[in-house]
Amino acid sequence: MNSQLIDTSIYADISRFIRDESLRILLEGEVIAVVGYAAGRRKGSVQPIIACDTESAGRLMFSQASVNNLAVYLTKAKKEIPKSGKIGIVLKGCDLKALVGLIGESQLKREDLYLIGVPCSGVLASTVHPATELATETIAPKCLECDAHLPTGCDFVPDVALPPQQKSDLKYAVEIARLEALTPAERWAYWKEQFSKCIKCYACRQVCPFCFCEQCLCDRNKPQMVETTPRPAGNTAWHIVRAMHLAGRCAGCAECERVCPMDIPLNLLNRKMAKELKELFDYEPGFEVNDKGPLASFTDKDDQSFIK
Amino acid sequence: MRKYISRQNLNTLIDKLIAEGRRIVAPRMTAGTPLYEPLGHSGEMIIDQLPRRSAKEAFFPLCEEIMSYEKSGQQVKLTDVDPSRFPETILFAVRPCDAAAIPVLDAVFSWDYKDEFFLERRRKTTVVGLACTTADDACFCTAVGLSPSDTKGSDLFLSPLEGGGYNVESFTEKGEALINSCSDLFAEESNAAYIQLANPQTEAFDLKKVKSWLDEHFEDQLWDGIATRCVGCGACAFVCPACHCFDIVDEGTEKAGKRRKNWDACGFWKFTHHASGHNPRDLQPKRYRNRIMHKFKYYDDKFGQTLCTGCGRCVRICPVGIDIAAIVEEINQK
Amino acid sequence: MCDNANKNIYLPYLTTVMEVIDETPDVRTLRLEFQDDNISETFAFRAGQFAEYSAFGAGESTFCIASSPTRAGYIECSFRSVGRVTEELRRLEVGDTMGVRGPYGNSYPIESFYGKNMVFVAGGIALPPLRTLIWNCLDLRDKFGDITIVYGARTEADLVYKRELNEWQERSDVRLVKTVDPGGNSPAWDGKVGFVPTILEEAAPVAENTIALVCGPPIMIKFTLPVLEKLGFGDDQVYTTLENRMKCGLGKCGRCNVGNIYVCKDGPVFTAKQIKAMPMEF
Repeated sequence: MNSQLIDTSIYADISRFIRDESLRILLEGEVIAVVGYAAGRRKGSVQPIIACDTESAGRLMFSQASVNNLAVYLTKAKKEIPKSGKIGIVLKGCDLKALVGLIGESQLKREDLYLIGVPCSGVLASTVHPATELATETIAPKCLECDAHLPTGCDFVPDVALPPQQKSDLKYAVEIARLEALTPAERWAYWKEQFSKCIKCYACRQVCPFCFCEQCLCDRNKPQMVETTPRPAGNTAWHIVRAMHLAGRCAGCAECERVCPMDIPLNLLNRKMAKELKELFDYEPGFEVNDKGPLASFTDKDDQSFIK
Repeated sequence: MRKYISRQNLNTLIDKLIAEGRRIVAPRMTAGTPLYEPLGHSGEMIIDQLPRRSAKEAFFPLCEEIMSYEKSGQQVKLTDVDPSRFPETILFAVRPCDAAAIPVLDAVFSWDYKDEFFLERRRKTTVVGLACTTADDACFCTAVGLSPSDTKGSDLFLSPLEGGGYNVESFTEKGEALINSCSDLFAEESNAAYIQLANPQTEAFDLKKVKSWLDEHFEDQLWDGIATRCVGCGACAFVCPACHCFDIVDEGTEKAGKRRKNWDACGFWKFTHHASGHNPRDLQPKRYRNRIMHKFKYYDDKFGQTLCTGCGRCVRICPVGIDIAAIVEEINQK
Repeated sequence: MCDNANKNIYLPYLTTVMEVIDETPDVRTLRLEFQDDNISETFAFRAGQFAEYSAFGAGESTFCIASSPTRAGYIECSFRSVGRVTEELRRLEVGDTMGVRGPYGNSYPIESFYGKNMVFVAGGIALPPLRTLIWNCLDLRDKFGDITIVYGARTEADLVYKRELNEWQERSDVRLVKTVDPGGNSPAWDGKVGFVPTILEEAAPVAENTIALVCGPPIMIKFTLPVLEKLGFGDDQVYTTLENRMKCGLGKCGRCNVGNIYVCKDGPVFTAKQIKAMPMEF
């Protein structure tokens, strides 16, 4: 399939809107900091920034390289962010879903936050250089399946017109279908090979907004539930623990997969879980706060066929 | 000793060595990711991509057994690991930034107590370096005093020539022994032009100046500014050719098991956390500061070397875009 | 330099637990003898050095060697069970096998203390790193001037080496000042009541020709150093030991560093002067 360019012309306007709004809320004292994106040293590169003053707010921007889900900076494991006032945060639709999930899990309070939503045509895949143009071949696979291009329920959303979205192959859906068609032995061989690459750097855990446990099971040693060395037993245990712990909670930001230095397709596990959740409980993460996630509540409509 | 080898003969050499039972490690694709791994045949070698992890694991594996224990009643039997079982290995197509880190690591593994796990592998490994033709804007070897043609750490060094093939220079007995073991595959040094090497666009840091700033600025707002966004994973340390911190753990059952040594990282909160709850580096900026300090000051204080070869791996993979080259450049400008 | 060429530096010696002594409800002392007679004869250490103790299956933990180098044939360690390894070590019974790697690190320069008065100041579980030196000094008693020991804990129950405290109290050539924090004493308590720094100030040992050795929780050290200064002690007359988290003990694994110092190699014994020059990462 030929790669088609994706229109990102709105990102320049969005950047201006984010800067203006951030300066306003900082100057008017509405927030004490804005968590957003700023340009890095390398051409096109973008990094998270916690802007507490007008100088740093002036550096805020948005581009196709604004890949991070910044909601991770709000959960309690990241203690360095000031908590003495309201925090502003820049969010794509996928990031907002995660933040909404965190509110549902009582990790965040909506009234402590000032949400700046970004109308988003997509961001780059982790495999390409940050200066690459956005196209159907360079876009992050999650963006091809996105139903949240325009965040709602935010305090501020730049007034720009989203260009129509390109149609493309749904990479995760295709890959999940491929894996589902394999025999268990073949599937096991696939994951065994993937997990063998894991180096236990825990980047997947550290960027995940939902991995907010004060002390991860894997960092506990009384008892040692999961072996810490990067060997098959501990690697597999970790990735299964991670996937199961995120089932019904993962909002699909795919940060785990993006940051994996060993290219392990972690989001496939999350997408598979999401598919099960959809089929079993008709649950999908969205922009509405749910006090109880699908696995934290019971209704008489729930599938009970497992009781034999 | 200077020689020439054609690309064809290089492959023949690799296949011949494999056939002789030698262990050849070189960049190859493993489950979709370029890594230094043992080759089955020369065709698997890739030379146009920087392996995701560095070559340090040829000497200092991600995880290795250092002994095993077996209990019976009140007695315990320990079984030592015999380093003589480590195979003779030839590391092919090692990037200069990876090769240069090996002698840097020699310092820590051989000062005072000798770590035979590292040193025995070191003795048994021949490093064949390859001049680098593919840099990107994360590379900064030239900023830390190296270059795409630096031969530091290589026993044998390949410089690619226009029209294919390599001029080969040997720097050690191991390098010469490799040439001599298959001398018919090598010819006299060629006069052909060298292929244009990579050209990292970074100015050289004044490493002395950087260090003297670090000497005086253990406390500085720079650390908070950089490291507030660090999420505390170990990716940077694990892909680094020079980071060498490790953990020691027992794994097994009550009755029997193994003691293993595995990579660790100063970015993890758990790294310095005491069982009592006290943690000398309790916040991420303190942990990130340790990373910079260790690379550009502490290791220099202790061993007279910089613990960074500018490979740029940490810059490429940092989940939150922390760029060590930009940070050191900022310090350099102060 | 260490002569370990071609040896596995991570391989522990095997020892047998000969005696188990409960010092407090959660602090235990183990007396260990080497299973290999050769090691037993050649194992030599100096006061202040530490070792890595193995509970096989759980891992290794770092403590000082708490017995005196003058007492040959065995070593002792004292530890509080707080983590996975120390809990396993606590399960060991007399006759069980335990691993020991060491001795590691520097030591107290005891020869340079000859002819001087010694003041030992310890709090809580931090007496073991001084106890090795206290017994070393007492076993060479005529080489030292006055010996003063100021030791305190939160409560009477938290005092370690109670039998030895009694022994020191009985001796005419040792001045023992023991104390517990306010509220930590029973009606029968015959020591002082108050925090270690205050009691030290009261005891007022002379600074001239005296070496002070201080071990305790960071908060105690923080308040004790100014008292010593007030009493006239110079920073090079005051010694302490650092207890950073360690794994290898060999200057390799990179865990214990404080600035460019490997606590496991350059320490664990430091003068107050050295400590003050270090970044605050301990």
